[in-house]
Amino acid sequence: MKRLRNSLTLAALAFAAPIAAQPLELRPTNAGYQPKDAVEQGLWLEMDEAEQQMRASKFLIEDPELNAYVKGVLCRAVGTEKCGAARIYLMRTPQFNAAMAPNGMMLVWSGLLLRARNEAELAAVLGHEFVHFEQQHSLKSFHDIKAKSNAMTWLGFVPGGMLAQIGLMGSVFRFNREMEKQADIAALDYLSASGYDPTAPSKIWEQLLGEMEVQAKANKSGVVAQEASDFFSSHPNTRDRMEYLRAAAQRKAPSSDDGAGRYRAAIARWWPRLIDDQVKLNDFAATEFLLDGLARGSWTADLLYARGELYRARGKEGDLAKAEGFYRQSATKDPALAESWRSLGMLLLRQGKSDEGRKMLRRYLDIAPVAGDRPMIEAMAREPQK
Amino acid sequence: MAISILALVGASVPAFAEWKALIADQSVNVAGKLIFATPKAGWNRSSARPSDHGERWTRDGLALNELTFFAAIPDGGTLYHTPYGATQKLPKFRSNMLATEIVELFENSNRILLNSSVFSVGAVEPARLGKHEGVRFAYSYAAQDEGLTRKGEGVAAIVDGKLYLVNFIAPEIHYFDRDIEEIRQLVATLQVRPSQAMRR
Repeated sequence: MKRLRNSLTLAALAFAAPIAAQPLELRPTNAGYQPKDAVEQGLWLEMDEAEQQMRASKFLIEDPELNAYVKGVLCRAVGTEKCGAARIYLMRTPQFNAAMAPNGMMLVWSGLLLRARNEAELAAVLGHEFVHFEQQHSLKSFHDIKAKSNAMTWLGFVPGGMLAQIGLMGSVFRFNREMEKQADIAALDYLSASGYDPTAPSKIWEQLLGEMEVQAKANKSGVVAQEASDFFSSHPNTRDRMEYLRAAAQRKAPSSDDGAGRYRAAIARWWPRLIDDQVKLNDFAATEFLLDGLARGSWTADLLYARGELYRARGKEGDLAKAEGFYRQSATKDPALAESWRSLGMLLLRQGKSDEGRKMLRRYLDIAPVAGDRPMIEAMAREPQK
Repeated sequence: MAISILALVGASVPAFAEWKALIADQSVNVAGKLIFATPKAGWNRSSARPSDHGERWTRDGLALNELTFFAAIPDGGTLYHTPYGATQKLPKFRSNMLATEIVELFENSNRILLNSSVFSVGAVEPARLGKHEGVRFAYSYAAQDEGLTRKGEGVAAIVDGKLYLVNFIAPEIHYFDRDIEEIRQLVATLQVRPSQAMRR
């Protein structure tokens, strides 16, 4: 069965991708695979070292349940016989990114978890990265680069740190467009074969494209933010990609299993922190677009609170009144969400509505009696503002 | 914070910061004569400033302890220089900010500058900056290029509509606890001199 599935997948890839037919040989995703030559061995050695550093990173999200869930999504997508070759590292970083090293280290930024709206969208990105690994795209790119310069020496001098590592993976393993398209199409095959909604990949790209455009417009530079461009610059034009993925999805068996409920439940504990990280980027336009896309017309208390924070932080003409409305809606939907009361209280105090403001702050303290800011909020709730 | 910030703002500070030793137990003008503080032994001040309104000290090197003074940041001003080529804007100080909003301003500025979401604020409580009522806040964070957690404590007050803030950072292992009481003493006894600010 295992063998059958593997050969079926390979056949599908060979059919889908306009790249040379795949020789039947061990791939990095097969058990017992070893690097073949000095270049690949060197590359693995470097990546193993980077992975060692990654394990000690303070940015690592160590939550075992969340890690098990993300790994489980990859395993369902690409098959349990293969997924063991990839080691996923969840990094607390609010931008959208994911990267795959040739030794099986996969980095997933928490910004992806924030932006994916369901399990199928997460599976689409994980599957895409996995195909790069399986098809040894990074090794192929590296051979190309090495022909041009002594990249291996250069590789050795890149200082540590997660951003440096990601940057390194982005620039050394710059996949060409054919590779990206191959990864997109093969990931869609995986997604469909495992019963996920095949329209998920085009949908997440559509969402990302929208966010990038809004951000570029807001920056007035027409240039997409650096974090995004690292990931996207090598990739096919996002609109093209969205369209060929949409067309390819139509040829797949339809499925309504997007795992939205499972996804919400799995990331629930992290959700407030993920939104908070994004809101604190002080990136109004992109965050507003993102929140709107996450709500899709159905604003939860968390999202309303986040929207209030966004408007309160910007504080332009009319923003505070809007923020006040969002906090009030949030507090109505979920009166136990302490932060809404806190922010509402601060907002009212700031506007001179001191009595009501202090009342809201006391409400916050009632709900969150051990909050770290209790002494300060108590003082603010007690005394009239000067 | 030190290493990352210096690296990030590299384009806007002198390439070589000069250090000058401060004399123990002798009052010294800080941040454009707007603050008057009395250090204990071993502190040095840098010629590289975190912003036009700031001044930076260290005892053993910025990686091990960093004491930063911000003085008279006006309405609309930012805590730090905006890093060269930054796509994200630093949040602005507003004269009518509440104590808790100053803490948010500090947190968000540093998250952006450090490119770090591993930043959490702990205790926030009333405190004095010299004789002015203000807020003290404790926090911890990790920077991108380091494998260690740093702790920080800041005390801020708004005096005549301008922001004054003193911030101490050190690795949570050993260095923070070693010096924090001394820093609190320094903060409690310093003098904010807004009259100097008005003259500028």
